[in-house]
Amino acid sequence: MNDPRNPPTPDPAEKWEVQLRKGSLELAILAALWEGPLYGLEILRNLESGSDLVVVEGTVYPLLTRLRTLGLLESEWVESDSGHPRKYYRLTNAGRRRALAMTRIWNRFSASMSSLLAPLSPNAVPQETLEEKP
Amino acid sequence: MTNAAESEKTIDEYLATLRRQLRDLMDEDVRDIVEEIHAHILDKTSGDRSPEKIASALNALGSPQKLALRYHTDELLQRAQLSRSPALLFRSILRWASLSLGGMIVFMLSGVGYCIGGVIFVMGLLKAFFPRQAGLNIQYDPPHSWSAGFGAGSGPHTGHDPIGLWLIPVCLVLGGGILFLTFRFGIWTLRFFSRPRRVAAAVAVED
Repeated sequence: MNDPRNPPTPDPAEKWEVQLRKGSLELAILAALWEGPLYGLEILRNLESGSDLVVVEGTVYPLLTRLRTLGLLESEWVESDSGHPRKYYRLTNAGRRRALAMTRIWNRFSASMSSLLAPLSPNAVPQETLEEKP
Repeated sequence: MTNAAESEKTIDEYLATLRRQLRDLMDEDVRDIVEEIHAHILDKTSGDRSPEKIASALNALGSPQKLALRYHTDELLQRAQLSRSPALLFRSILRWASLSLGGMIVFMLSGVGYCIGGVIFVMGLLKAFFPRQAGLNIQYDPPHSWSAGFGAGSGPHTGHDPIGLWLIPVCLVLGGGILFLTFRFGIWTLRFFSRPRRVAAAVAVED
């Protein structure tokens, strides 16, 4: 059991993963809105179901506001059956162009990293290398 | 107090704190942000507005102070990058300085630049209005001593001023140039270091 006074230090690989996920959030939001307008909570659920991004809710709303200020998104308040209005976001033309450009960069980067990382795949690495030696 | 009233009070307190923390933004933006967060909380807790469920929804958003800081930092940096206002730029760098060592260094360099540029510029103005009291003041009394000064005094200076009234354009151009370059340096560093959101990320990375 963890001692609350001495929380476990995060593994450097886990910290790197958190940074990687955060860096991908902008593209993930643009991609979530590709099919049509969504409101904040729908975007969050879309991100969580469509990827294994663990999204901190408090970071998404300021990011949506920033993307709107940059002209990549536009927003509109729409009355809903739930009894309160919801703010829907949709991609602008500039947002669509940015999403396509970011996807191209992502795919190129991902392909080059995949070939670089091929020798490190679990099938290629001997089992004894993965086992910690005393 | 009933559960519903308690939940309502908790939400109101959260939103009131958020509104207070965002007071530096434009009123319209604050209303928009607070309404959106309110709608999010209602959506997140639809069907179950128990105090536990409300607490869980607010916890997932983070404290109102931290949430406001994210909006604020993003908005301020963005406006500063697009703006030509030295005051806004100064506020942005000051906020950046509170977030990271890089921001602190930029803040200090900007402060030194503004001070040096400001003093030289003001000297140019003083020389224009008080030509005998302000300027270079070189006292040379060989072989005993000599001294050189640059500034303004209450009475006329007694030494030699080799530049004379040429000091006015020199100081105005040099001081103005240093002020302008310091301003451009601030804009450039903000643009460079906030791409892609390196400054704002300093807040977000804490999660």
